[in-house]
Amino acid sequence: MAKQLIISVSREFGSGGHEIAEILAKRFDIPIYDSNLLEEIANSKNLDADTMEKYDEKPKNVLLSRRVRGYSNSLSEVLAQMQFDYIRELANKGESFVIVGRCAETVLKNHEALVSIFVLADMESKIARVSKHNEISRSEAEAMIIMQNKKRKMYHNRYCEGKWGDSRNYDVCINSAGLGVERTANVLESYIKERVLLREE
Amino acid sequence: MVGQILAVVIFVAMFVLIVIDKIERHYVTLGCGLLTLLLVFGLCMHSTPAIVETLNIQSIFTADFWYAAGTSEEVSSGINWETIIFVAGMMIMVEGMARVGFFRWLCMRIAKLVHYRTIPIFITFMVVSAVLAMFIDSITVILFLAAVTVELSQLLKFNPVPMILAEVFCANLGGSATMCGDPPNIIIGTSLGFSFFDFITNTGLIAGIALIAVVIYFYFAFHSELSGGIAGKGADIASLPDPKEAIKDRKGFVISCVIFVCAVVLLVTHSVTGLTVSSIGLFIAAVTVLTAPRHIREIVGKVDYKTLLFFVGLFIVVGGLEQTGILQIVADFIGRISGGNAMLMAAIIIWFSAFASAFVDNIPFAATMIPIIKSLAAVEGASLATLSWALSMGTDIGGSATPIGASANVVGTAVAAKAGYPIGWGRYCKKVVPATLLVLIIATVCIFVRYF
Repeated sequence: MAKQLIISVSREFGSGGHEIAEILAKRFDIPIYDSNLLEEIANSKNLDADTMEKYDEKPKNVLLSRRVRGYSNSLSEVLAQMQFDYIRELANKGESFVIVGRCAETVLKNHEALVSIFVLADMESKIARVSKHNEISRSEAEAMIIMQNKKRKMYHNRYCEGKWGDSRNYDVCINSAGLGVERTANVLESYIKERVLLREE
Repeated sequence: MVGQILAVVIFVAMFVLIVIDKIERHYVTLGCGLLTLLLVFGLCMHSTPAIVETLNIQSIFTADFWYAAGTSEEVSSGINWETIIFVAGMMIMVEGMARVGFFRWLCMRIAKLVHYRTIPIFITFMVVSAVLAMFIDSITVILFLAAVTVELSQLLKFNPVPMILAEVFCANLGGSATMCGDPPNIIIGTSLGFSFFDFITNTGLIAGIALIAVVIYFYFAFHSELSGGIAGKGADIASLPDPKEAIKDRKGFVISCVIFVCAVVLLVTHSVTGLTVSSIGLFIAAVTVLTAPRHIREIVGKVDYKTLLFFVGLFIVVGGLEQTGILQIVADFIGRISGGNAMLMAAIIIWFSAFASAFVDNIPFAATMIPIIKSLAAVEGASLATLSWALSMGTDIGGSATPIGASANVVGTAVAAKAGYPIGWGRYCKKVVPATLLVLIIATVCIFVRYF
């Protein structure tokens, strides 16, 4: 039986990180969890996935929620914790998977099967990608990138000690603008294979 | 003047930091309390007596702190150690009760008594929530009630959200009925020298009338949502959990029940026996730990010491506002806009307190308002008791209006969300704000009719 492999992919908005995660999942033939993680949780707990999706990877609104004796009524915080627990559960069951975002590099820190990746890109490359993908103007794309990355940073830094995108928190940080999505995935695939080999030695 | 500005800046910073919730709130109040001592009292006022008065440690070593023969008197300003010791004692008792499974047993027993029918569970849980919250902190009450509600909702197939919302509201309402029900009441009672009996015959009466109205309101607001359960329609009641299974330690359970009854009796009679709430808190805590020697570490370890430290820091910061005369200025302002009309003053206090408590923590708010109503009573000649009941009802009930207004709301909505039933602001306020307004109107009318 193949050894367990967990790949966490954190990414800047517009860097192609999600696409890279999909390629890696395909090449290693393992499932990928992103926003579909909510569906998994909703199905396993008989909950409404649509309601949950509204609060996915959203930073906590400090004015509209409070914490009392460790109980927070911030829906985004409760949802985040639910996802973290589910990710841990999957990992502890010995499953192999690719997980996009959701602070997985911190949630599964020290897990021997984890390879953590952060994908970034130059602003110009992100703008080109986002404006093409969403069919919006350059300025709109830039505003969207800044806003989305700010949200991701706030979400991550709320739950993790290490800062979002800080190279010390990841095994690999890679700029996808240099090689493009496909070749960046190739480099990452080689790295992951080496890590797997090392574990088997 | 600089001292006043600094005291206000520290106070505002404390509130902002509590809201932002980046730093745990006991660190916030303790840090701000330390700044008050150093900057306001030390650097600006050069006043050692102000520091001594605010730390108020000497009060613990007076006989009145433990035994008050005759009528209780207003205590001096600063850290209200009576509140802190009493809250700590009650926390230990509640942990002892939780350890043996008292709360879960009670909820399951009541559900069984009404044959697991949804609407009767809904109504009895509202009443239980209010009655328990009269003696036990509303956080504990809701933690257990909401957890059992979710468990029953899964077994009986009903939506737990309406029930949790009603339980939360009733816990806050029940808390307003007694001196020990809600932290603002404990602070009001110990700071202004009111007894348990004073509260139950004043705010208790209002809360009793309001509870009847609220049960009727919630029944009509939610009965259609709750009528869909399987219970009573062929559900296999025998397969539901037996209440007895909730009891983890039979002997401990009996002892806990006896201690709880003793605590209630001591509280109800404390104006007659002369025992202060600090003596009662200490006694109850001592009995709880001495009767469970093998579980001392477990019980004491679960005490929410962070809340106790939060109180210590908070009282110092409010002491800064008091010593620098800021609260006097606020009291003068309220006196001016009410034109010395006591009725208007009571109305302002109840509605303003309610509005503020809906959005900010009602504990610091009540602690801040106490010196203000004291000053209003002294300068404007209004009845201190009437203003106190207005403040108590305003802070306790106003806190119900939003998901963040009171601790019980936070815990109730958090338990629901964790179980997969997120309650947003819209869903919460749509049903609870009308109930809050209803109770505030009842309270205002009761105060007007009875005291003017």
